[in-house]
Amino acid sequence: MDKETLLTVGIDLGTSTTQLILSELTVENFASAFTVPRIEISDKKVIYRSDIIFTPLINQVEIDENKIKEFVALQYDKAGIVKDDIKMGAVIITGETARKSNSSKVLQALSGYAGDFVVATAGPDLESIIAGKGAGTETLSREHRGNIVNFDIGGGTSNLAMFRAGDVVDTACFDIGGRLIKIDSDSHTITYIAPKILEIIEKKHLSLAVGNHVVPEDLMPIIDELVNALEQSIGLGEETPFYNLLITHHDLKIKTDVNAVTFSGGVADCIKADNVTDWFQYGDIGLLLGNRIKNSLFFTKCHVLDTVETIRATVVGAGSHTAEVSGSTISYTDEILPIKNVPVLKLAKEDEQLKASELAAQIRSKLDWYLTDDNQLTNVALSFQGIKSPSFADIQRYAMGITEGVAKLREAGFPLLIIVTEDMAKALGNSIYSMLPEKSPFVCIDSIVAENGDYIDIGTPVAGGNVLPVIIKTLVFN
Amino acid sequence: MNETELKGMIESILGELVKAKGLDSVEPAKRTKEVNKLGDSVGSNIISNEFLPDISEVDLKKQLLVDNPHDREGYLKMKSYTAARLGVGRCGTRYKTQSVLRFRADHAAAQDAVFSDVNPELVEEMGFIPVRTVCKNKDEYITRPDHGRIFDEANTEIIKQNVKKGAKLQVVVGDGLSSAAIEANIRDVIPALKQGLKKYNLDFDKVLFVKYCRVPAMDPIGEISDADVVCLFVGERPGLVTAESMSAYIAYRPTVGMPESRRTVVSNIHKGGTPAVEAGAYIADIIKNMLEKKKSGIELK
Repeated sequence: MDKETLLTVGIDLGTSTTQLILSELTVENFASAFTVPRIEISDKKVIYRSDIIFTPLINQVEIDENKIKEFVALQYDKAGIVKDDIKMGAVIITGETARKSNSSKVLQALSGYAGDFVVATAGPDLESIIAGKGAGTETLSREHRGNIVNFDIGGGTSNLAMFRAGDVVDTACFDIGGRLIKIDSDSHTITYIAPKILEIIEKKHLSLAVGNHVVPEDLMPIIDELVNALEQSIGLGEETPFYNLLITHHDLKIKTDVNAVTFSGGVADCIKADNVTDWFQYGDIGLLLGNRIKNSLFFTKCHVLDTVETIRATVVGAGSHTAEVSGSTISYTDEILPIKNVPVLKLAKEDEQLKASELAAQIRSKLDWYLTDDNQLTNVALSFQGIKSPSFADIQRYAMGITEGVAKLREAGFPLLIIVTEDMAKALGNSIYSMLPEKSPFVCIDSIVAENGDYIDIGTPVAGGNVLPVIIKTLVFN
Repeated sequence: MNETELKGMIESILGELVKAKGLDSVEPAKRTKEVNKLGDSVGSNIISNEFLPDISEVDLKKQLLVDNPHDREGYLKMKSYTAARLGVGRCGTRYKTQSVLRFRADHAAAQDAVFSDVNPELVEEMGFIPVRTVCKNKDEYITRPDHGRIFDEANTEIIKQNVKKGAKLQVVVGDGLSSAAIEANIRDVIPALKQGLKKYNLDFDKVLFVKYCRVPAMDPIGEISDADVVCLFVGERPGLVTAESMSAYIAYRPTVGMPESRRTVVSNIHKGGTPAVEAGAYIADIIKNMLEKKKSGIELK
């Protein structure tokens, strides 16, 4: 097999901006002709970057779905591609936009509109990871020692992702962004203040309110608190009383021992902005926030590294870094592909060591977690670690436990989906196949890590049918 | 020499040493004590139930022998990608003792793998039909590669009696250059292959086991059995990374003297490479493809 390229799309609906990129992933077999294939993604290249538009809203609580569709159609047209060219991709809805009332609906509609296998993703953890990968922090962490944290500071939130030697170690999210206070760029009057900022204003007894005319100095007490919280998130500087208030869902578990940081998101460009004459030219506090970060402890007490992407980090991450490929020795029946939005059930390590009959019982009882509100079965992808270089007896045990355990799903007509981390899916798939009634649909893939709460999408085969493209994501809305 | 004599001898030698160095003032009691200690360790036979740690158990990918490394974690990360003996803490020829011992242990394992035989009980347990090439012993096998590929009349007859003539697939297992490889992998690869073939309604009959087997031994078997595909599992020449690596050589209607390029190879089947069960499953696909296309080796690509 020679190289094969896949066209992917990434769409980011952020608090303030919406953008789209197209990228090309190269899939290549790295093994010699004398061993089993080892197919991996060898290159990721962004081939088209859209205009950046303000996220269209109908009102403060609703996203304008039609305007976004128009935008996507226009960009595809400009790039000279049609929807069918796109092999896979991801739409991500981030920051405050994810909290709009129709966000889930828009996301689902858009993912179908953008391409057959473009998936919807959201959730602050995933957003942090995607932004960190898009910014290039993941790559930097392979070249530099220790922990590197990327701060993706957008309009509504700051997403932190800590990387170490190319692995994601931790994530965090804060309600800190450039558009938490909006200011009319002509009259310099405040037009919007985010709820958490209002709380800080109240506690600090500041006289800031919608309609007030402001100069930068008036806003500095707020900006200081925001930057202090960012510093504190990696253990720099004094503690701010508003730290806990500003946490979106959780902070970093390890706050010390950060060797370097990177900045991405719209505010990262504001950090670099020089000779600013009008601090409110973007109608928000982005420039003030950026400037304050430039004069913060990050630049004196820590190492700041350059990123490859700033405002486009999240969209590049969504387009280029969400898709992975399965291991190269797998087993599946292809008429059921692609598969979208299937929740993952991860077996505990202890479950995996059980006898086949006990394993089956464990699976049966855990499947009940996934009953719908009206007690209907939904399909579930079964995920587990597996064994490094298993014996044939191990394979039989797993296969028996699984086939027996998921009988209910199979009888309900769902295809069997198995995800293993260790390299054993082909033998396991064959065993399962031999135990299933003839022509039962199934997919058994390896070299993929999926946890409880994740959702999985599996695309149509690439590389001569040797591997399946996979996107692991979370659809959890806060 | 008994214990008392030995003690006496050591005592006198030590005595002379002490005199020579002008250390007469050492108290006699102390001297005796030291002598006794020495005598104990030489003469007595204390049996300990403790084992020396098995140095070949150490995972080399996780062992870093560099003293005070600048970036231990980074070095170990790098080492995790290779089985090469990096980070031994020395350059040049003077390795640390640990490295030398491990090197010799691995080398010994490699030699053992070549010079030992596959356990006949395994052959029996798996129900293989044992045959042998014309080699009479390991020495002949090693020095005469041309003998490791031919069968005498008696063995030809055994093969004839036990294979299903004109089968779609004949499976053969050969010791090759590593008996350890066969012992480590064959139990898992054979049933995985069988299960993989079942998906395509393919199967195989009795498996032949060839002692003193070189890869081209599969060619006369192909001719005798008239099978469409012959699949030979054979122990690879062992290296220092593993002595348990096995290969599968698969050919469509192999014939004696055919070009090597007609063999399809799946190598590196061992627990640190391709797991045996995955290899078996993968080879089933290759065989199915071979039967469909009626070719093998580089022609198959």
